[in-house]
Amino acid sequence: MGRTSARGRRNAVRMARTAHQLTQAELAREIGVTRQTVVAVEAGDYAPSVYLALAIAARLGGTVEQLFGESPLADLAGNQDERKAGL
Amino acid sequence: MNVEEHVEAVGQDDWFVRAAGMVGDLGNPFYREERERDVWNEASAVGLQLVLWLGLAAAAGMVWLGGAPALPYAIVVFVIVGAGSGVGLLYAHRLGVRVSATGRVLRLRLVPYVALVVLFLFGALRAAPSSGFGASFVGGMAVGGVAGVLTLAWSGIRARRNKQLDNS
Repeated sequence: MGRTSARGRRNAVRMARTAHQLTQAELAREIGVTRQTVVAVEAGDYAPSVYLALAIAARLGGTVEQLFGESPLADLAGNQDERKAGL
Repeated sequence: MNVEEHVEAVGQDDWFVRAAGMVGDLGNPFYREERERDVWNEASAVGLQLVLWLGLAAAAGMVWLGGAPALPYAIVVFVIVGAGSGVGLLYAHRLGVRVSATGRVLRLRLVPYVALVVLFLFGALRAAPSSGFGASFVGGMAVGGVAGVLTLAWSGIRARRNKQLDNS
């Protein structure tokens, strides 16, 4: 496994992307990377740089911690619940 | 390191780094996409390792199988392999990455490389003429090779020792 691997760490990019009804290609175009990079990030096969992580978070309306933190799926779900409740 | 200390940014404007960047075509737009760049860097490392293996094996094989007539060609192959890896190490060094200081230099996978270098040097000494420029050149190369291997081993041992001291 290469240096660029995120070693299977989970992230919430796919969940956030689908919540925004974006395709992988659309997200890739908007943040200036290839679709394969988005695929690799979502699969945990690639650990993005801090700048790419910030770009992804900015486009998907969350924070880097929510998308890539220790428990990203729980954080993002909590954030979405807060939005629904109007908090 | 305390909070008052800081490390200066190193080498990006260094002439060698700029020249190496031109040789490596590091300004190519391909490098802007970070994952493609990272994967290409890994692929380049694989390619360099393969060239090292094949180059050292070829040089060693040439001096042992071809004898004295093959010696100049073997030396050229050895120098090309050495220049490639040397430039790579120097580039990393200029940008603050000292491979020998990481403590990961002394690994089992280094043994075959050292064995091939020693095999080549012994073969070169065996195939070299007994006197004259050729003998002096190969003699100097052998001394340099042994010194290089010993320096590498010493650097690795020192780095390990420093790491152990840092951890204790």
